[in-house]
Amino acid sequence: MLTEQSVIIQGTKRSQQKAATRETILRSARSLYAERGIAATRSAAVAQAAGLAHGTLFLHFPRQEELLVAVIEDFGEGLCRRLHELSAGGRGLRACLEAHLAGLREVEGFYAALLTEAGHLPEAARLSLLMVQSTLSWHIAAAAEAGMEAGTIRRQPVHLLFNTWIGLVHHYLANRELFAPGALVLERRGGELVEHYLGLVSTGDRIEGG
Amino acid sequence: MKLCVACGMPMEGDGDFPLGDRSKDYCVHCARPDGSMQSYEEKAQSLAAFVARSQGLDPGQARKAAEAMMGRLPAWKAAR
Repeated sequence: MLTEQSVIIQGTKRSQQKAATRETILRSARSLYAERGIAATRSAAVAQAAGLAHGTLFLHFPRQEELLVAVIEDFGEGLCRRLHELSAGGRGLRACLEAHLAGLREVEGFYAALLTEAGHLPEAARLSLLMVQSTLSWHIAAAAEAGMEAGTIRRQPVHLLFNTWIGLVHHYLANRELFAPGALVLERRGGELVEHYLGLVSTGDRIEGG
Repeated sequence: MKLCVACGMPMEGDGDFPLGDRSKDYCVHCARPDGSMQSYEEKAQSLAAFVARSQGLDPGQARKAAEAMMGRLPAWKAAR
């Protein structure tokens, strides 16, 4: 006989199972996007990689666009949490840049595919990427402005400071086979990028956070 | 951990809440000076201004991005 408690437990288990299945789908999709490219990845291949029936994937993500948006948002939420933890500690621009690279390193292949294909992706996906950039820009702007007040960062328009960093990182990612063939480019060159950038934006011989 | 219903920011410390009031579901950045929540238009304007200032986007594109971001957050899903 079903008691109220057993119904609640069953409901909780179903909810946990649903969340676990969603997580498996997101992980499988991210991996295939990195390996094959986003436009070339079909939902049937994602279902197969996740060990699910195509219909199960369809229940979670009725359209391919929704799956891509969910993968971008999942990455963005992780990066947002990482940056927020740092900003709460007020650890400065260097910490923000390093947290950004650490977040990208976890999904480097996927993110590089996202950059390469961004111009051809659905608007919802492009807006999701812009949301991630906006979160990042919020943290970088806050850290940079604190550095400007403290005299460690040269005064300059925040958007140019942000876009200089993004441009540098994206160039290395978009051409990662040239900079680090067969390896993770941010693992190999990330430290160099952070040092170079901080040297550009810092005042005099005081390297911010150094 | 709470996420702001109006901008999605994680809210942990007292300083993340309007006037330090942890019962609020929106963050200090989405509140007016008196602690009440900003309207849709107030938030859209401030978010668009921030996106334009921090990333250098064209003002029209910044407004579009702000509305898209807000459309995915609980406080504004039904507002558009």
